[in-house]
Amino acid sequence: MAEHLPINPRTGEPLPPRPQPGYYPDFSTLDQQAFWDAATREVVLKRVTDIPPIRFFAHDPALATALFDRILPQDDRDPDHRIPILNYVDERLSEGVSDGYRYAEAPSDAECYHLGLRGVESIAQSLHGTSFIQLGSREQDEIILSLRDNSPPAGEEIWSRFPAVNFFELLVTDAVDAYYAHPYAWDEIGFGGPSYPRGYMRLENGLAEPWEADEQRYDWEPPPTSLSGSYQPLAGLIPEHARRRQGGTH
Amino acid sequence: MTGRLKTPLLGPFLAPQPGPKMLGPNERLDTRMRRYPHHQEVDVVVVGVGAAGGVLVQRLARFGLSVVGFDAGPFWDVERDWVSDEKGSHKLYWNTLRITGGPNPITLGANNSGKGVGGGTVHFAAFTPRFHPSDFMEHTLDGVGVDWPFRYETLKPYYAMIEREMPVAGPARYPWGDPHGYPYGPLESGEYANLLVRGCSRLGIRAVAGGPIAINSGAYGDRPHCIFRGFCLQGCKVAAKASTLYTHVPDGIANGAEIRDRCMVSRINLGKDGLVNGVTYLDPDLKEREQKAKVVLVCGYAIETPRLLLMSSCPGHENGLANSSGLVGRYLMVQSANVVMGRFPGLIRQYKAPPANACTEEFYETDHTRDFARGFSIQTVGPLPCTFAKEMLAAKGAWGWGMRKVMMDYNHWAAFGLLGEILPHEDNRIDLSDEKDEYSLPAPRIRFELHENDKKMIAWAVPRIEEIMRAAGAEETAQEPRYAHLIGGCRMGVDRQTSVTDQFGRTHDIPNLFCCDGSICPTQGAANPALTIQALAARTADYLIAQRDLVLQKKKAPLDEPPMRPDLSPPGTLTRGVPPRLNKRRR
Ligand SMILES: Cc1cc2nc3c(=O)[nH]c(=O)nc-3n(C[C@H](O)[C@H](O)[C@H](O)COP(=O)(O)OP(=O)(O)OC[C@H]3O[C@@H](n4cnc5c(N)ncnc54)[C@H](O)[C@@H]3O)c2cc1C
Ligand code: SF4
Repeated sequence: MAEHLPINPRTGEPLPPRPQPGYYPDFSTLDQQAFWDAATREVVLKRVTDIPPIRFFAHDPALATALFDRILPQDDRDPDHRIPILNYVDERLSEGVSDGYRYAEAPSDAECYHLGLRGVESIAQSLHGTSFIQLGSREQDEIILSLRDNSPPAGEEIWSRFPAVNFFELLVTDAVDAYYAHPYAWDEIGFGGPSYPRGYMRLENGLAEPWEADEQRYDWEPPPTSLSGSYQPLAGLIPEHARRRQGGTH
Repeated sequence: MTGRLKTPLLGPFLAPQPGPKMLGPNERLDTRMRRYPHHQEVDVVVVGVGAAGGVLVQRLARFGLSVVGFDAGPFWDVERDWVSDEKGSHKLYWNTLRITGGPNPITLGANNSGKGVGGGTVHFAAFTPRFHPSDFMEHTLDGVGVDWPFRYETLKPYYAMIEREMPVAGPARYPWGDPHGYPYGPLESGEYANLLVRGCSRLGIRAVAGGPIAINSGAYGDRPHCIFRGFCLQGCKVAAKASTLYTHVPDGIANGAEIRDRCMVSRINLGKDGLVNGVTYLDPDLKEREQKAKVVLVCGYAIETPRLLLMSSCPGHENGLANSSGLVGRYLMVQSANVVMGRFPGLIRQYKAPPANACTEEFYETDHTRDFARGFSIQTVGPLPCTFAKEMLAAKGAWGWGMRKVMMDYNHWAAFGLLGEILPHEDNRIDLSDEKDEYSLPAPRIRFELHENDKKMIAWAVPRIEEIMRAAGAEETAQEPRYAHLIGGCRMGVDRQTSVTDQFGRTHDIPNLFCCDGSICPTQGAANPALTIQALAARTADYLIAQRDLVLQKKKAPLDEPPMRPDLSPPGTLTRGVPPRLNKRRR
């Protein structure tokens, strides 16, 4: 559907889906797999070829699918090259993979999903009298923004048990942890990927290795129907609510 | 897959053949490990074989004591277990349940603590600066926090020694704190390190690149030099980045230490004489077992060490072992570690080279023109894609198409980290919750709150880092609040009313129970703690050895400074690198 596609800002025309969006056309980390150590190769290839089944969301995959389609849209990817975000999130939840902590008084992640999905549905019903999955992308984005701003217009008894913004954070965190762990996403952003035992040798000025690609930028803008193209920092200088699953830094 | 598979000249890299553990590509652990029978009382049990525990196991075994080191996590086979992949490295962290709360809850897991032989040194970034002399006496100098029970000069020779054992690469002259040089030359920099130096230089702020970091800039024994693969926080498969897993533990095993991995110590046992007589632990099948010992050293880090003391409560010690002060679990600290990200017109490729490279400590000391005490450092960080995306969620509120768009510019961003001192407060603490973790043990509960001085420092520091980022050429900056580096929980001190252990980590209450790890540090300044933690461990090892006659008889030994034992360093380490200057100890 054309209204879901990013557009060329100069012409206003939708950009057709491609196997590999991003500024590094033809760059493929998977092509380099013979240069990776065996343990890494096994883990990464399994991720690509052995897609986990839907178990946790099995009773109603449509709602979660619709939600993740907005949380991290992939309409610019051709159907053969989409990353099955929901499957990886499902895997984490059904295997109970823990991050090693939970916020005091917060429900478990599984419980958050049960509650949060109900909450999203109740917002859709109260605003539009229909299910979230029936809504247009703008209406869906509006609902997600109300979570981000922690001002959901309905579902009070749910959001009193855990803040709507925490559900927003959980969704985005899970989506990016799934998406950016996939080699297709590495190719999209020009990340060199695994590099042991070969290593890197061109460290300065952002130079490409002989097997990496140079950047070839093009202009694009999010589809006019979407509301997720603009930015607003989640917290002020002092964090009022900590974020889930921060990776380590230093 | 595109069918354009490239192959190395000699074919794809094969998995290592079955055989001994591989600690990196060259180092094979082929010494048979000694096994102590369960009924035999050993001299020393070390709980937690991480930064501190690794050094203690090595030293005590080399001296000739019988030592069993327990670690709740696995004894890694680096070639087979570790991967160059963010998601695939989840197993390196402490992932069993902890409850985090308080007004400013800290994130744990990947951001804070490791599990497995090597502990946090498996996935640390390997910045290894020393604490400044002022850190040891901040109450005297600035009227804040607390003084250490000794001065910088006491630890100085141990700093120099551990810098050789790791070893640490860095500039020939490091200008801050007690100025000194490093035994190995600075490591080559990634582009973001150039940017930190450029930004600082344009603003007249001194900065250094290439260290201090515990990463080999040249081959070191059977450990190769860094290959700049950038996965330091996922464990260094190359073994170029120091971890006690390769630097100390193998020498301990060669000298008769036993490491019992995947064994979670659940209780320290007390005899009728009021002295510790060993530990109870859950073996890999979660079966409860016991190990008798003359001395117990707890090295589980800032959450697990106090937790174990609290879980070991018994008649006469209802509030936990060694807790007559009521301070076990209190004065827990982290450092403020906001990450400032900047977008540059040119390409950076921040995934190349170790994240730890350049830094400045120009703002480290108290400056009376600022409205807060103490100070901070600024260091390079190099987030990989999943981590960076989550930083963009926090810093820019990125999601949806906005997330996709900013991530397509991943290679244009660089990141600098704040490392600010957070002062000790009694109400920042860990205790036991009513919930159970995966071992069916009481889950620890952490409460954390920023206080006035901490908030003022963050508010002052973040704009400075943004200035540096812009001076380096960034056209946009964004920042994510976060914390790093746990410390405290069983602090050492002179007064048994206000501390849990003495200056050697011996608990005030029980003469044969020691804590020695990050938990005993009374403060942590604005430097990354692992070097200091290992220096403390080497000193406590020297103390135990000097006083072994009394300590092994479970008697209280005098607090005399022990003679240094350079002969107990892993072989060869002290003689490599730039010749050491004589480090005379001053009291
Ligand atoms: C992402 C990240 C980056 C970091 N970067 C740096 C850096 O650049 N520089 C720096 O100096 N520091 C850094 N650190 C911090 C550093 O890793 C720690 O400060 C240091 O490792 C703590 O040393 P320790 O000996 O106190 O404990 P650890 O090294 O954490 O070791 C504790 C060990 O005890 C084991 N254990 C705990 N409880 C039990 C029990 N009951 N039974 C059995 N075993 C147990 C654990 O499994 C663990 O292996 C970083 C940390 C993280 C998470
Ligand atoms: S960048 Fe260097 S130190 Fe870091 S993981 Fe790679 S080889 Fe090891």
